Amino acid sequence: MSKEAKIYGYLAEFANAQEIYHAAEKIRDAKYSRWDCYSAFPIHGLDAAMGLKRSKLPIFVLCGATLGFITAISLAYITQVIIYPTVVQAKPANLFTIPAFFPIMFELTILFSGFTVLFGVLGLMKLPCFHHPLFNSKQFSRVTDDGFFIAIEAADQQFSAEATRELLESIGGTNLEVVYDEVVEEVQSKA
Amino acid sequence: MGHLITSEQIAIDGEQLTSAPFKRAKQILGIIAIIGTIISFAILFFATDSLQGTFAYSWLFALAYALTIAIGGCFWVLLHNLSNSGWGVSVRRLMENLGFVFPFLGILCIPFLFPDVQQYLWEWMTKHRATGVDMFSSNPSRLFGFWGGQDLIDALFYKHEALLAAKAWYLNVFSWYTRFIFYFVALGWVIYRLRKISVDQDTDPKPGVARLFQARAFSAAGLPILAITATFLAIDWFMTLNYTWFSTMWGVYIFAGCALHSMVVIILTAIVLQKNGYLKNVVSPEHFHIMGKLTHVFVIFWAYITFSQFFLIWYSNIAEETMYFTLRNTAGWYWVSLTLTFGHFALPFILLLPHWMKKNVKYIKWVCVYLLVLHAVDMYHVIIPQRGPSLGLILGDDPVLWFGGIQAVFLDIFALLVVVSGFGYFYLRNLGSVNLYPNRDPRILESANLSN
Repeated sequence: MSKEAKIYGYLAEFANAQEIYHAAEKIRDAKYSRWDCYSAFPIHGLDAAMGLKRSKLPIFVLCGATLGFITAISLAYITQVIIYPTVVQAKPANLFTIPAFFPIMFELTILFSGFTVLFGVLGLMKLPCFHHPLFNSKQFSRVTDDGFFIAIEAADQQFSAEATRELLESIGGTNLEVVYDEVVEEVQSKA
Repeated sequence: MGHLITSEQIAIDGEQLTSAPFKRAKQILGIIAIIGTIISFAILFFATDSLQGTFAYSWLFALAYALTIAIGGCFWVLLHNLSNSGWGVSVRRLMENLGFVFPFLGILCIPFLFPDVQQYLWEWMTKHRATGVDMFSSNPSRLFGFWGGQDLIDALFYKHEALLAAKAWYLNVFSWYTRFIFYFVALGWVIYRLRKISVDQDTDPKPGVARLFQARAFSAAGLPILAITATFLAIDWFMTLNYTWFSTMWGVYIFAGCALHSMVVIILTAIVLQKNGYLKNVVSPEHFHIMGKLTHVFVIFWAYITFSQFFLIWYSNIAEETMYFTLRNTAGWYWVSLTLTFGHFALPFILLLPHWMKKNVKYIKWVCVYLLVLHAVDMYHVIIPQRGPSLGLILGDDPVLWFGGIQAVFLDIFALLVVVSGFGYFYLRNLGSVNLYPNRDPRILESANLSN
């Protein structure tokens, strides 16, 4: 095995949704932070079992919405009242024109929120991601069918080659595998 | 995700509301309602003209408040059945009991059937009666007067009431009475049937899914009846307080208030019941989260509809349409309008944004109480501003644009107190007469273990 291949982490398979749920609780209690569960379908309550904190996305979206709101009100007010007062159908050209600005305020608030949601999600999930080290594992392809996997990253503070493997084995992990950042065969052939 | 609720934790015969404080509350509300209703009916029929007229508006305002909430209860039952929802099975009985208040409220609406009361509220009726034409017509092609007889239309033209003549196909006394009866009989029957289907399940030794499908199919037929009732009741009773005014968004505006505030009442009921030790195993913070989200949705929907109605009228600037808002943006009513804008939309919108606000009953109960107060302001804003101008014309006084004299406010509060007591009595009666949740529903465990 080449020394160039960096270890991504451990991958362990679990028998069913129930086992992966309880395994997740134990890994959470062992204070790991950089790890994830993989399954073909959403498992209710798994986020709590993993000890996942609430996403920061709502805060970003609130900022985006506020920004959109302020943009809209300034855009409408500055152009329609300050720079070029537009008098239509005897409507006032001052702050009381505000009902006419509501659709713009509404739309821009939604638009900016939508953009923040889209780009916030992409940013927080580190997407687009063209390749993931876990795809190097042959058995991992079963995750889209009937496999339940937990991967603990080597980048985790708690990670140790011995203790982490023992933990995964003790909580029922089978087919334990070390996953490398690059495909191992390629590295070996180079060496 | 707490511990899973299993069928052992669901009482075989369900929970019944039998505690002493509940019975006492029902008694007190019943007594207030009976005494208050007798006094109210006496004022409506035997007081001086001015008092009678003033109180007719108070009574309509109070019933607008109660009826909207009851209709909303029917809406949630129908929607829950129709959308095949599993989440709300635990609280479905609360919706059914809330909706089933609606037919009982018909008792409090009886005064509106009498011309003595109608003359102050609906001027068009007085004008129709002044023509002297019988409200029934012999012409079968006009449905015997349901679509307004030709005699009536001619007589209205003769009196220079072209507007009423043009509207006579809808706005005539015969069809008004017919619709009045239809609302209570038809929607009352829908909610009675749905509640019965649900309640029968509780004692069935072999509960299956048959009633689930039956309720769903029946709800599909019931939803149009609800739509017709909510829309035309709003038009018949509230919009035609000024028969020259019209708004095509009126029905959906009133409906938005119905759906919002009935959900608020359902949340409050669930909180009170849980505090007294009921619904412990079946209702969790997850339910409050969902119901809070629905409340939030309808806070936005209410604002969207209310603003759209205002906006379209404001933009087109046609005198026949703007009169509603001209009246409500004049004098003190201006501040009531502003209160609704900020108090009924902006504040609850922000309050209900965070998820912990919706999940934690400590917070959401205050938001709910607050919203119920604002619903009274909303209904006040719909009904009462018309009182000054109308009574001014009918009784020959100077038109009063503000509250119509300070004593009128006390009459309004009194009417609201009486009707809400009656509402509370019927609601508690419904709650106490059946199990608090459908304990043998096939999806009760799915609902109890809700996670969202």
